[in-house]
Amino acid sequence: MDPLTLSFAVINGLLLGGIYGGVALGLSLIFGVMRVINFAHGSFLMLAMYCSYLLWASLGVHPYVSILVTVPFLFGIGYAVQSVVISPLIRRERALVVEPTSALLLTAGVYLVVDNSVLMAFGPDVRSVTTDITYESIFVAGLPINIARLIGFAAAILVAFALSFWLKHSDMGRAIRATAQNRDAAAMSGINVPLIYNVTFGLGCAVLGLFGALLVPFFSITPTIGLSFGIKSFLVVVLGGIGSIPGSILGGLLLGVFESVAAQFVTATSAAIFSFGLFIVILLMRPAGLMGRA
Amino acid sequence: MIRQILGGTLALATAAAIGLAPAQAQPQDVTVGFVLPLSGGSATIGNQTKLGAQVAAEQINAAGGIASLGGAKLKLIFADSQSKPDIGASETERLIQRENVSLLVGAYNSAVTFPASEVAERYKTPWIVTGAVKDEITERGFKYVFRPNNKATYDAREQLDAMDLLKKETGKGPSSIGLFYEGTDWGRSHAANIKKFAKERGYTISLDESFPPNQVDFTAQLLKIRASKPEALIVVAYTPDHLLFTRQYFENKINIPYGIHSVGGGSEDPSFYKAVPQKAVDYLFVQEDWQIDRLKTDKDPRVLDANTRFKAQAGYDINSYGAQGISNVYLIKDVLERAASTDREKIRDALAATDITSGMPLIVGYQRIKFDEQGQNTFGHGVISENIGGERRTIWPSANRAPDTKPVWPVPDWSAR
Repeated sequence: MDPLTLSFAVINGLLLGGIYGGVALGLSLIFGVMRVINFAHGSFLMLAMYCSYLLWASLGVHPYVSILVTVPFLFGIGYAVQSVVISPLIRRERALVVEPTSALLLTAGVYLVVDNSVLMAFGPDVRSVTTDITYESIFVAGLPINIARLIGFAAAILVAFALSFWLKHSDMGRAIRATAQNRDAAAMSGINVPLIYNVTFGLGCAVLGLFGALLVPFFSITPTIGLSFGIKSFLVVVLGGIGSIPGSILGGLLLGVFESVAAQFVTATSAAIFSFGLFIVILLMRPAGLMGRA
Repeated sequence: MIRQILGGTLALATAAAIGLAPAQAQPQDVTVGFVLPLSGGSATIGNQTKLGAQVAAEQINAAGGIASLGGAKLKLIFADSQSKPDIGASETERLIQRENVSLLVGAYNSAVTFPASEVAERYKTPWIVTGAVKDEITERGFKYVFRPNNKATYDAREQLDAMDLLKKETGKGPSSIGLFYEGTDWGRSHAANIKKFAKERGYTISLDESFPPNQVDFTAQLLKIRASKPEALIVVAYTPDHLLFTRQYFENKINIPYGIHSVGGGSEDPSFYKAVPQKAVDYLFVQEDWQIDRLKTDKDPRVLDANTRFKAQAGYDINSYGAQGISNVYLIKDVLERAASTDREKIRDALAATDITSGMPLIVGYQRIKFDEQGQNTFGHGVISENIGGERRTIWPSANRAPDTKPVWPVPDWSAR
């Protein structure tokens, strides 16, 4: 393996890993605060991609401009799903358990409904957006680095910082953290817990709205694209530590580099085995993840 | 109450049947059953075959039906396999038992065709295979199963045949081949076949790389392709992965002197070409069961009429699977004319004696349909096209190549495009 190829594999792994991490942010946030594993995570990303695609196809809006629409749209969807579908369940079960396991099944149901509704509405055809940026690369030492991916990577780091900052320093952020630490104590201190839940879920989805639009220039869109990203997000979140914002990015980078470098030595089919092997090892050795609080 | 309504409907239906009976001076329709994936993962393809078959039946019926049966009309009954083996098999049984079809066509997915055709064999009902390429379908010693189209090994052989042909014509060709394929049944068996033929013909395999379906990134694999420098690359992928690969390959501008050779799948899908810029698919070789430039070279009015009808409903020109539907129904017409009966046994015998060398059954691009004792059309072949100047033009076999088509071989470097 020559060093040039290897270094390029690492760079690409970092780029892709950053994007994985960014996509996983919302999952981590939602779990950290609500203890709900959102199975429909990938489906919401897919919705954001379709939204961005539709704006491009019908009105010619550049995917990066469509962020102005996809982010509020996904926030709205997240808010609505939480307040209409999940919150009655949490209300019903709050006396019994702290971690609503049945919410996992519920979100799995949401995933099936969303994926199949999109399949019904748009059919199984593969769609894609072609923009000026799709094939633009900058060359570093003779190796191309795709600009659209670089932007996705930068956005992931930026969003992670912004989100951590906001959680630390804003009133709403503090309320969210308080709720994450102890729901009942937060409620007794006058925090409107159901509202916090709705906002958190909306926020987790809004991040997906951003990445949906950022991914569209270089990914083709199918109704099932969500699943591949959903599974990757679970890997990332578990690797990095559930509920940890920097952990999500770190887990993403780790997975991206791991996949990219491993694929240089074995086939992608086997590399996938190693990724999931890594997942199991981490769960066994450090169940809270790399940056999680055990 | 419900019973009353049912009773009423039944009475009505009976009355209608009785009422119709005396008027039936016309010959009885011939019912043909189709088992196709009309929903589920392969729904697009199943519906294309269905539309092709409907178009052909319309044409045949409008032209007077089956002459030897007194102008009997073809009546097509479509059953949905949902791309699932068990449902395909039970639908086959239903078509045979309840609908009393004279013969069956199906079922694109090899995994469905394999068990469903076994049901047909058990009921001694002729089954014409459409689309499915799994070798073993016509290697079981069955008497009622016939396959006009390719088997999997033919696909692999043809890709190397095309390279050999171009090598013979120009004196130049690859010595090493890379394999890049999806890691399920189709990709793996195709790669195994290629390796077998490559060894016989003295090509070395410089890259043997599989990937699980629905990837999100191929950068790592493209690096391997860049490093292993194959002189030609054979690609096996369904639409989403084929798209991703094509886009990233274009982005990375890797030079492969004797081009990318795709064995259909994604590159047969009309939506594939809408989603990538023309430059990304320039000089792409595609092996498929349909002569893609046929509509430009063929002046048969029936072909053009079929395309008009097809396009009116599908929104795009006839493609591989539409053409196979048309071919299947015209083959059935030919068989019925010779059988002069709707009896399944007589139809089977007529099918076995098939020898077609011209006309609409050959719309897909074969020169002949004649089945061996296993029911395989040994003259079945795919057609390989190269994307030259924005058009996909047939380059192999030479019998199908238009006189003004000049293959570009080797393909130009990215710097020269």
